[in-house]
Amino acid sequence: MHSINRFLPIFFFLISVLGIAQNRYTISGTVTEASSNETLIGVTIAIPSLRTGVTTNEYGFYSLTLPQGTYELQITYLGFEDIVETVTFDQNRKMNFRMTEKAQILEEVVVTENVEKLNISKPQMSVNTLAVQTIKNIPVVLGEADIIKSLLLLPGVSNAGEGASGFNVRGGAADQNLILLDEATIFNSSHLFGFFSVFNPDAIKDVKLFKGAIPSRYGGRVSSVLEIFQKEGNSKEFKMNGGIGVVASRLLAEGPIVKDKSAFLIGGRASYAHLFLPLFDVDNTAYFYDLNTKLNYRLNANNNLFLSGYFGRDVFAISDNFENIYGNSVLNLRWNHLFSDKLFSNLSLIYSDFYYGLELDFVGFKWNSGIRNFNLKYDLKHYLSDTFQVNYGINNIYYTFNPGKIVPNSPDSGILEEQLTKKYADEFAAYVDVEHSLSAALSLQYGLRLSHFIRFGQDELNVYENDNPVIFDPFLLVYQEATPIGTVSSKRGEQLASFTNLEPRIALAYTLNPEQSVKASYTRITQYLHLLSNTSSPTPLDVWTPSGPFVKPQILDQYALGYFRTLSEGEFSLETEVFYKDIQNRIDYIDGANLIANNAIEQVILNGQARAYGLELLVRKNEGRFKGWVAYTLSRSEQRTPGRTPSFDNGRSNRETGINFSNWYSTPYDKTHDVSLYGSYDLNKKWRFNTNFVYQTGQPTNYPVGQFQFEGLTVPFYGLRNEERLPDYHRLDISATLTPKKNDKRKLQAEWVFSIYNVYSRMNAASINFRRNQDTGVNEAVRTSIFGIVPAVTYNFKF
Amino acid sequence: MKRLLVFSLIFTSLLLSCEDVIDVDLPDQDTRLVVNGLIRVDETEPYVPVEISLTLSSNFFEENVPTSAESVLITYEEIEDNVVINQGSSTLAETSPGSGVYIPDPNFSSDQRIPTTTLDRDYVYTLFIRHQGRLYLAQTKYVRTVPINSVRQGTGTLFGDNETEIIVNFTDQPNVDNFYLFDFGFGEYLVTEDEFYQGQEFEFSFFYEDSFETGTVLDISVMGSDQTFYNYMDQLIEQSGDIQGPFQTPVTTVRGNVFDVTDLDNIDVLDNVDQPEVFPLGYFALVQEEKAQVTIN
Repeated sequence: MHSINRFLPIFFFLISVLGIAQNRYTISGTVTEASSNETLIGVTIAIPSLRTGVTTNEYGFYSLTLPQGTYELQITYLGFEDIVETVTFDQNRKMNFRMTEKAQILEEVVVTENVEKLNISKPQMSVNTLAVQTIKNIPVVLGEADIIKSLLLLPGVSNAGEGASGFNVRGGAADQNLILLDEATIFNSSHLFGFFSVFNPDAIKDVKLFKGAIPSRYGGRVSSVLEIFQKEGNSKEFKMNGGIGVVASRLLAEGPIVKDKSAFLIGGRASYAHLFLPLFDVDNTAYFYDLNTKLNYRLNANNNLFLSGYFGRDVFAISDNFENIYGNSVLNLRWNHLFSDKLFSNLSLIYSDFYYGLELDFVGFKWNSGIRNFNLKYDLKHYLSDTFQVNYGINNIYYTFNPGKIVPNSPDSGILEEQLTKKYADEFAAYVDVEHSLSAALSLQYGLRLSHFIRFGQDELNVYENDNPVIFDPFLLVYQEATPIGTVSSKRGEQLASFTNLEPRIALAYTLNPEQSVKASYTRITQYLHLLSNTSSPTPLDVWTPSGPFVKPQILDQYALGYFRTLSEGEFSLETEVFYKDIQNRIDYIDGANLIANNAIEQVILNGQARAYGLELLVRKNEGRFKGWVAYTLSRSEQRTPGRTPSFDNGRSNRETGINFSNWYSTPYDKTHDVSLYGSYDLNKKWRFNTNFVYQTGQPTNYPVGQFQFEGLTVPFYGLRNEERLPDYHRLDISATLTPKKNDKRKLQAEWVFSIYNVYSRMNAASINFRRNQDTGVNEAVRTSIFGIVPAVTYNFKF
Repeated sequence: MKRLLVFSLIFTSLLLSCEDVIDVDLPDQDTRLVVNGLIRVDETEPYVPVEISLTLSSNFFEENVPTSAESVLITYEEIEDNVVINQGSSTLAETSPGSGVYIPDPNFSSDQRIPTTTLDRDYVYTLFIRHQGRLYLAQTKYVRTVPINSVRQGTGTLFGDNETEIIVNFTDQPNVDNFYLFDFGFGEYLVTEDEFYQGQEFEFSFFYEDSFETGTVLDISVMGSDQTFYNYMDQLIEQSGDIQGPFQTPVTTVRGNVFDVTDLDNIDVLDNVDQPEVFPLGYFALVQEEKAQVTIN
C-alpha cells in the first residue's frame, strides 16, 4: 500500500487548488470550420495580456475561466485565418468560433507568435502532430498517401522497411503502439501485409503521436499512442472528393442530414485486383478495401451524438489452393455531454475486432482467428480555471481472443475440427490527469492511472510440473516445451490470474523565455496484451494473447528530457529530446519457437526485459514557400532474457543459460542512426514540389558463422542473436503537384500528383538469405529488395 | 501443418520482391564436429543399417570435410526401476580411412551388427564418439511410423505452372500424439504432427518446384519421430530454406541431441551452463522408415 501513500500528497494538493477559484467567469463553446461546421481539434484560444490560453479538445470544445475583466482573445489554428475578439468576462457565457481556411496566399504569412509560445510552455512533450495536408503532400510509394508511412519521417519512428507492417517508436515493438481511430483500438494497421496503412487520409481530421509523456487517460500499450480522429462530416452542404491512383481509388461523400445539426460522412477506398500478380497467369487475386462512415447529430447545445464505423478487408487468393481474408471492423457510439460550461464529458461504447481467415485447399482446411473487444469509456474534462484543468475517467474493455479454429473444408478432408482454447479477459482502468500552470514559467501535467486486468476462466488450461511450462536441458542448453501433466477447465466467471498496477505520469515544462523551454517527464505504463510474433515485423496471422498465469504484463518506465525553442518568431522551431526506457517482462521466444496454431503458447515464451535510449532532434521550418523538417535520431534498443532463478531439484541446481546466453541483443528495430528530411516548396499557384530523404542504419540481422550438412540439407548456423546488420537503408522520393488554372473558374477542384519513389533506385535489402542454389549446388547469399524506382500518378478531385 | 500455414506469408513477399546474389563478408567461427546419425530402419531387413558419418563444419561458402574419430560406439540398455535388465553394444569402424563414415566393425571378434529384433524391446540407444580428444554423447529411442497408403500425382499448382503436385495419403496412428518426417528426395523434407488429424486418414499435397520428365520415379518416405527430433528437423528445414523478407523468423544455431561431455565429471561440473560455446552439431536418431513410389506421367 505504500505506493498509494506516495500519491496522496498530489491529491491533497489538487483539492487545495480547487478551493482557491473564486470571482471568475467562464466562456466556453466549440470552434468549427466555417464552411463545413467540422469541429477543429487543437485550436489555440490565447489571452496575450495574461500570457495564458487553452486549446480545443478532441471534440472542438474549449472552456476558459478568467478573473472578471475585459480581455483580447486570439483564436489561431495553423492554416486558418486568425480571429481576434475582445470579450468581457462578467458572466458565464457560450461563444462558438468559426474559422475560415486561409486562401492559398503565397506571400510570407504573418504568424501569430502565441501559437508557438504556448507550445513552448505546455508540459506535453514527445508528441508529434501531422497535418492531414502534410500527409497528403509527402511522396509515397505508388502515390497512395499514407498516415503511417508519413509518421516514419518523424524522429524516433521507424519500421522494418518496405512491405513491413506496423511501426516502431523509440525502439519499441509494433505491438506496443496503441492505435486509436475515433477512440477505438485498431489491432492491425496495414493493408497487403504492410504496403499500405488502413487509414484513408480523406476521412481523417487529426493525427497525433505520443512517443512519451503519455497522459494518464491512455494506457495499455507501452511504446506510443497514435490517436486518429475521423472527420465528422459537413453539416452545411454536400461535398464529394476522391482520387484515382495506380494502386487504389478513393471516393468520399459528406453532407448534412439536417442542416447545421447533423451530418454524415461515408468514404470508401479499394485497390485493384491482380495488380501485383503480373508474373503469374493463374487465377490470382489480391486487393483491399476499406470503408469509413460517420454520423453525427447535434441534439442541443449541450449534447452531441456520434456514430462512427470502420470496416476494412484484405483479400488474397491464389487459384483454388489458397484464400486469405483479414481486416479490422470498428463501431463506435459516442455521446458528448456538457454538464456545465466547465465540465465536458464523453461516453463511448466501442466494439472492435480483428479477423483473420485462411483456407488451404491443398491440405484441406479452413482457419480463422481473431480478437474482439467491447469497450466502455467515460471521460470527463473539468476546466476549473485557466491554470488548472482536471481530466478523469474510467474505461473497461472486455476481450475475447480466438487463437484459431481449424475446420475441414470438404467431407473427404482428414482434418478434424478443432477450436484452440479461447481466452477471455477484462481490462479496467481509472485515471486522473491534471494540467496545472503553477506560474507563468512553470507548468505541470501529472496524473495517475490505476489499471486492473483479469484473466477469466477458459475451457482448458494446461497444468505443468512445478508450474513450469518451459523446461531447460542443462546439457544441450536448449529450452523445450514441457509436457503438461494435465488440464483444468474453469468457468468463465473464475479468475485465472489478475493484476493491478498503479501508473504515475508526470511532465513539467519550465519556460526560460517566450522562445525557449525545457521539459521533463516520467511515464509508467502497463501492457497486458502481447502480440505473438517473432518475425521482424508483425504479420496479420499473428495472434494477440492476454497476460495470465504464465505470461506477465509488460511494465514500462520512461524518462524524457527535452529542450524546445522557436527561432525567427516561429518561422523555425527546434525540438530536442533524450529518452530512456526500461521494460520489464518483455516476452521473448525460445529458439525455434513455433507460434502458429500453438495452443500452448506458454511453452515457448519466457519473460525478459527490454531497454531503449536515445537522442532525437527535429528542426522544422513552419512557414513560407519552403516548409519542411530535418529529423535525426541516435538510439539503441535492446532486450535480454536471462535464465530464471535456479530451483533445487533433488539437491541439484537447475541453472539456466537464458535466451542468447543472457546477453543483451539488439532488437530488430534497433536503428543507430535515423535521418529523415522532408521539404515542400510552393513554386507558384500551379506547381508544388515535395521531397523526402531517409537514411537509416541497417536492421540488425544474423549472418551464418558456418554451415553443416545433415541428410542432404545445407544448414547455416549462427552466433549470438542479431550481431550483424543489413546494409544501410537510404532512399530519396520526389513528387510534383499540379493544380490546373481552370480550378479558379469551376466547382470541380482537381490536382495531379506525379511522384517518383526511390529516385536513384537504391536496392535496399529487406533481407539477406543464405541458401544453396538448387541448380548449381553452390552456396550463395541472396539479397531480397522490395522496391526499386517506382513512378506513379494520382488524380485527386473534390466538388 | 504449422509450416503450411506459414506459406501465406512467404509468398506475399515473393510477389513484389526482386532477388540478386551478393557478396557478403561472413564472420568466421571455429569448426565443429557434425554428426550425421539418422538411422532409417526397414523392419523387414534382419539388421539395423547403422551408419554414422562425421564431418567438420565449414564457412558458409566452403564445403564440409569428412573427419575421423578415435572411436565410435553404440550401446543400448533396457532399464526398469533404475536397474539395467538388458543391454548390448556395437563397436563401429570407419569404412575406409578418412571417409568419416562409420559402420558396425566387420573385423571385430564378434558380430557387431544390431539385429532388427532388438527394436522390439524398449531400449535406450547411446552413441559415444571420441574425436580429437573430446568425448561426445547422444541418446535416443527407436520410433516407429505408419505406412503410406498411396501417393499419386496431382494436377494442381501453388505458385507457378512448373510445379509438380504429389498427393500423399496415410492413416495416422490413433490415440497417441505422433510426429512424422516425410522425405521427398532432393533435400525436400516436411514435418507434420497429428494435432489436427488424430487417428484420421489424412491426405495432403506436396509441391515440387520443378516439373519432371514422364516416367521419372520419385521415392517418398515417411519416418517416425519423437517431439525433439520433430522440432530439430522443423528448425533445420526452416534454417536451410528460403524464408523471405520481413516475415522471416529469427535464425538460431540448431542444436541437436549430441553434446560434449568431456568436462562433465558429475562431481564439480553437473551441467554445460558454464560452457555454452562447447557443442557439436547433428543428430542421432533411430527411426522406422516406410517407402512409397510414384511414377510421373
